[in-house]
Amino acid sequence: MAEISLSNINKVYGDSFHAIHDLSFDIRDGEFMVFVGPSGCGKSTALRMIAGLENITSGTLTIGGEVVNAVDPKDRDIAMVFQSYALYPHKTVRENIAFPLRMAKIDKTEIGRRVEEAARILELSQHLDRKPGNLSGGQRQRVAMGRAIVRKPKAFLMDEPLSNLDAKLRVQMRAEIAGLQRELGVTTIYVTHDQVEAMTMGDRVAVMKAGVLQQVASPHDLYSRPDNVFVAAFIGSPSMNLYEATLDGNRLTLGKDGFEVPAQVFESRPSLRGSTNRKIIVGIRPENMDDAAIHPASAEISAPATLVEVLGAEDIVHLNIDAPWVDAGDPDAVTEIGEDRSAVARFSPKSTIRPGDIARVAIEAEELHFFDPDTRASIW
Amino acid sequence: MTDVYQRDIGKVMINAFALLLVLSYALPYVYLLMTSLKPAADVQQIPPRFFPETISLENFNTVLGTATLPKAFLNSLVVAILTTVLSLVLAVPAAYVATQYRRPITVLFLLFALITRMVPAVSLGVPLFQLLKTLGLLDTTTGLVLAHTSTAVPLALLLMAAFFEGIPKELEDAARMDGCTRFQAFAKIILPVMKSGIAITALFSFITSWNEFLYALLLTSESAKTAPIVIAEYNSVYGLAWGPMTASAILYSLPVIIVTLVLQKQIIGGLTFGAVKG
Ligand SMILES: Nc1ncnc2c1ncn2[C@@H]1O[C@H](COP(=O)(O)OP(=O)(O)OP(=O)(O)O)[C@@H](O)[C@H]1O
Ligand SMILES: [Mg+2]
Repeated sequence: MAEISLSNINKVYGDSFHAIHDLSFDIRDGEFMVFVGPSGCGKSTALRMIAGLENITSGTLTIGGEVVNAVDPKDRDIAMVFQSYALYPHKTVRENIAFPLRMAKIDKTEIGRRVEEAARILELSQHLDRKPGNLSGGQRQRVAMGRAIVRKPKAFLMDEPLSNLDAKLRVQMRAEIAGLQRELGVTTIYVTHDQVEAMTMGDRVAVMKAGVLQQVASPHDLYSRPDNVFVAAFIGSPSMNLYEATLDGNRLTLGKDGFEVPAQVFESRPSLRGSTNRKIIVGIRPENMDDAAIHPASAEISAPATLVEVLGAEDIVHLNIDAPWVDAGDPDAVTEIGEDRSAVARFSPKSTIRPGDIARVAIEAEELHFFDPDTRASIW
Repeated sequence: MTDVYQRDIGKVMINAFALLLVLSYALPYVYLLMTSLKPAADVQQIPPRFFPETISLENFNTVLGTATLPKAFLNSLVVAILTTVLSLVLAVPAAYVATQYRRPITVLFLLFALITRMVPAVSLGVPLFQLLKTLGLLDTTTGLVLAHTSTAVPLALLLMAAFFEGIPKELEDAARMDGCTRFQAFAKIILPVMKSGIAITALFSFITSWNEFLYALLLTSESAKTAPIVIAEYNSVYGLAWGPMTASAILYSLPVIIVTLVLQKQIIGGLTFGAVKG
């Protein structure tokens, strides 16, 4: 077990492609850290540098207080679970799990004991003599986990280990991996591009974009206090709605509508005062909007509903807000045809809004987020 | 009803066509076999008969009784085995590096291997002759092995590269995380995973050397002479010894046929590159 510390890590592929820019943060001993970000942002690259599979162009990486930039992967005492599982196809499950122990020259009876134990924890005991080719996706995933846990390494690295599983199994394995990690207490770095996975599993989450770290924080803080527009939109589903607005005194003008921003918002965001009388980016989470006919609020706007998705527990209402829409810069964001740029709100299922209606939308103004239109950073 | 009927007709036609094709390929070989089984006196019979009147092993006894043919067989075997081993030792690691550590230069490397396959062997024979002469390796097993290896390696390289394309890079990464050096990962994980691909490549290298005629003709004269040359020599200025020639040819073709039959599943599987997925 060990803490892992990155300081000013850079990665340049070839001699031109700068994949990671000045990555710095610490992962505490026993912590479950998640790297999340859109595809191609450098999550795997960062993980592979920690593993030792990729050279570090510049910067310092320490594991357990020791600088390991030049240490071979085999000597870093780290176990890794790959997206493709990378099981050894010619070996049985037992041999797969035993392999790292055999490489470590551990005595035979001890190997046998530890393999049995790992198999029991992962419910693989009946499958020990089968080859990976004859296992289901979920079982293969468990074998890959088994190969990682038998060794009792300093840290686990996992690169999208659940992305090849179907949705239901993914939810189950998500809980199992998080539980296992808590039980073993081994420092873990988990890479995913799924923000739900990141939020549910991580003690802390590092959000990356285009090789640049955006924010490292607990899931709760990421959600409630995002550092910038990108993090605000990336965390939470459906995404935060972002529009250009003007703040004039206490009055926020959003398109043709306007409402008072409550005093407590100015208290928690002192810098907001300095942003009055100019353009500002306002962020409204879908869950902070509702049908004013059902839950009236002091802040209200009206907008035509373009689409209503009835989910039972709530209605997802797409609204056409006539203020300039702000692109959060997530290349993976789904923009449905004809629906891009529309706001999304989570209305109470009692709402009777239908597509084409002009909806009166109540906004929980205390929960608004504000960002600087130039730096795109949160205004606090 | 008519659909089923038509499908059956189609099946019959395809099978008939396949049979015709097989027969036309097999016929010369069957004729070779029939001739070799005729008594020496019947071989040159006019008009020729397809089937022997009496089956006799006389021709086989003749060729096996001589000193030249068994020695040439042994030479062929030694050269083919050494060529196979040397080709694999050179081509397997090279193909692995060329596919797993893809750089512009490795792509070029494989392209060059392909180009050497396109140069006619004759045009390389003369420089090879000069080279081996300078090295004092003419008419030696070593010399012929080197010559055969030079033709077997490009083929082995291309085959192995195709096989290696099918294995994920993460396999080596996983082995390295599990405590292997790069070389251990290659030796302990990659090679065993690739064993059917390696077997097929070995077979092709072996056959390349076993069947090779031109270099053997140019580069050997007496002591390192291989069987194809001896077989061809039955057709000499002194006349055409059909009986011994056909018997030797049959004997010489047997190992290849047997191995191919034994390995046919792997060969077909391997040639469709499905051998290592799993
Ligand atoms: N070996 C390499 N050579 C050159 N560029 C590379 C190499 N590996 C990755 N890259 C580039 O570096 C960037 C980051 O890649 P990386 O695989 O780390 O992304 P990722 O965040 O893991 O994405 P994904 O979610 O798709 O797995 C990408 O633009 C990728 O094209
Ligand atoms: Mg990745």
